[in-house]
Amino acid sequence: MANKLGEWIEDRTGLSKLLKAALDEPVHGGAKWSYIFGSGLVFLFVLQAVTGIFMASYYSPSSTAAWGSVYYLQYKTSFGWFVRGVHHYGSSAMMIVAMVHMFQVFIFGAYKKPRELNWISGVILLLFLAGFGLTGYLLPWDQKGYWATQVATNIMGTVPVIGKYIKILHLGGADYGNFTITRFYTLHVFLLPISLVFFLFIHIALFRKHGVTPYWKMREEVLRDRIDPFWPDQIFKDIVFALGMYAVIAGVVFWTRGAELQSPADPASNYLARPEWYFLFLFELLKYCQGKYLIVGTVIIPALALIFLFVLPFIDRNTSRYPSKRIPYFGAVFSGLTGAVVLTVLAMHHDSKDIHIIHQREEAEKQAARAVKLAEKGIPPTGGLSIFLHDPIALGEKIFKESCIGCHKVGAEGGDNGPDFTNFGSREWIAGLLKNPKDAKYFKETGAMPPIKLPDESLMDMAEFLLSQSAGLIHQNAERVERGKELVLKGNCVVCHPIGNKDLKKIAPNLTEYLSETWLKEFIRNPGDPKFYGTRNKMPAFDKLTGNQLDALIQYIISLSKDRTLVSEKQEKGKRGYVFGLTSPRTMITFQDKS
Amino acid sequence: MVENNRRKFLKVVSHSLGGVLAAGIAAPLVGLGIHPWLKETVYGTEEFINLGKLEDFPVGIPKKMNVTSSKMDAWNVFEGLVMGSVWVLRKEDDSLKVFSVNCPHLGCGINWGEDEKQFLCPCHEGVFDINGKVLSGPAPRSLYSYETKIENDNVLVNYKKLI
Repeated sequence: MANKLGEWIEDRTGLSKLLKAALDEPVHGGAKWSYIFGSGLVFLFVLQAVTGIFMASYYSPSSTAAWGSVYYLQYKTSFGWFVRGVHHYGSSAMMIVAMVHMFQVFIFGAYKKPRELNWISGVILLLFLAGFGLTGYLLPWDQKGYWATQVATNIMGTVPVIGKYIKILHLGGADYGNFTITRFYTLHVFLLPISLVFFLFIHIALFRKHGVTPYWKMREEVLRDRIDPFWPDQIFKDIVFALGMYAVIAGVVFWTRGAELQSPADPASNYLARPEWYFLFLFELLKYCQGKYLIVGTVIIPALALIFLFVLPFIDRNTSRYPSKRIPYFGAVFSGLTGAVVLTVLAMHHDSKDIHIIHQREEAEKQAARAVKLAEKGIPPTGGLSIFLHDPIALGEKIFKESCIGCHKVGAEGGDNGPDFTNFGSREWIAGLLKNPKDAKYFKETGAMPPIKLPDESLMDMAEFLLSQSAGLIHQNAERVERGKELVLKGNCVVCHPIGNKDLKKIAPNLTEYLSETWLKEFIRNPGDPKFYGTRNKMPAFDKLTGNQLDALIQYIISLSKDRTLVSEKQEKGKRGYVFGLTSPRTMITFQDKS
Repeated sequence: MVENNRRKFLKVVSHSLGGVLAAGIAAPLVGLGIHPWLKETVYGTEEFINLGKLEDFPVGIPKKMNVTSSKMDAWNVFEGLVMGSVWVLRKEDDSLKVFSVNCPHLGCGINWGEDEKQFLCPCHEGVFDINGKVLSGPAPRSLYSYETKIENDNVLVNYKKLI
């Protein structure tokens, strides 16, 4: 039956003949591991295409919806984070394999007559690849993509005479907006793939016409006599390579927990943009071409490099493929490569030392986590950025910057009359306070409390117990709490500090529910209350704050600690965990506790 | 012969490895594709929707009310969206009956005839009494209604489930 159906189809289509023609290509000189890169690229392109198509069914290309739709894909669907991760790292893999392929073709001298057009179509394909990287980066409409693409489109604008017009055409207007995203989307999912497939077809057809270019030392008679069929000899090697690449990509996706999604693009922020790694060398180049020389870095050098690549088969006309006979070209190509590598390394090195970049990366991570948390409740139709409009933590930060930062430092910013609030209320912060209250970070010389002379571990135990009194301590350790409780209650703390009863007063602050939301509220309203600092108090009372403002301020202060979550945001009666595939490992999901 | 066996073996291995690769790629894609089977993507966020204070409803006269709720649509939340409307009847004992505005025959919108003291469907002349029972016309059943409750004097309706 199946045979009959097969025959019927064969009769009408000639499918198996077609397949046979495609697979029976003779590989002169034998199948080789060194030929796997071209088909490896075809595999990666197909992988990008299928993951891209599935992602497109969740993506919405508009400036108000793009971030939300990518957020949904990443955090709300099953496997969305994985598919997006494969697509993201797949693009890097393509860039790497394309480079290896190109350099191999160069080293083997495979661009020489009669294969000039193979080489040129290959260079065009490489340009398309760069185009994919550039257009895809913007689509999530997050901070990173938005600002990095600004740099790229501004570079476009520096092209003499026509630059301005090309830029407007790409942006779909004078500034970034809906049309920028629809245009980049059109380029990324229609124009570039169609063009790439077209040139890929030419590239492969030319390759089939001229056959492989073997290692230059292969003897003529081996090339003539040893003929392997493409299927299965070469395809076996190609499949092993494809499988290996997919395993590596999947491994990287798991290891990095998928591709990053930063907080929604904020045109008002001053984000320091960095392009994707494969464009870093161009970016670094611009640092050395400033003022009127900018165009050297943006247009002249890249154009010269491209022209060199396009004309290479016509200037290197020597028929010998031996590297020793092509030294000037090896010199040119490898000095270009070395230049690009050095520039990339320099860019990475600068960024790893630049305190602003490091600080910004930390900020961006925190902001992204906050955005994801806020988006949980749904994103208003006015766009991704509007999730921050009603965010109490953002409001709290504003109040803190108006009222508190004069005396309390957070990070590098702020005064030093009062304790430093960096990582305020974390285990580490409290243990540090216990260790030396007179430290510059805490109360300095005004500190009345004597340092506690106990090992650091015991101080951490005490901090664990003190913080455990209020809900919201992350990863609470019951043994530590017990040990800390013993140390606090049976030690000298209780001589000065009341604990266990909220209303008791002694000479030092009441530590019952220390640093909980209520404790902080009462404290900020009246730090001079006898149950807090009493007559020793130096901090003004902030009793003019409205209930909402105070709530927001408390939320912000608690968010400063990496060890604590807000009770109001903590899911009650639920177990948190991560189920493979079902959700992004960047978030934990809450299971209903049946008990 | 040896060469032929080697190629046969290579073919088998290639098919198997290719199968593993294809399955490894397809599995997460299928998982992503069937997401709407696994999870609700468009839904009203409130189970019981507030229609107003009890005293706003006259006793014995059905009153038409808009049902306003917030709706989640994938990543978006739409606040204060009119989802539809209902007929609310407050009875003498302050119990409530909330009817669907759609005729159970073909879904036309029904009106309350003040003179007739009946619900009337303009499409095929369906007639229902004040409790929603069919009096005449083609309707196969009495009017659809919704679960309702009163909390702190607020009239709440579960707009998700027809009864």
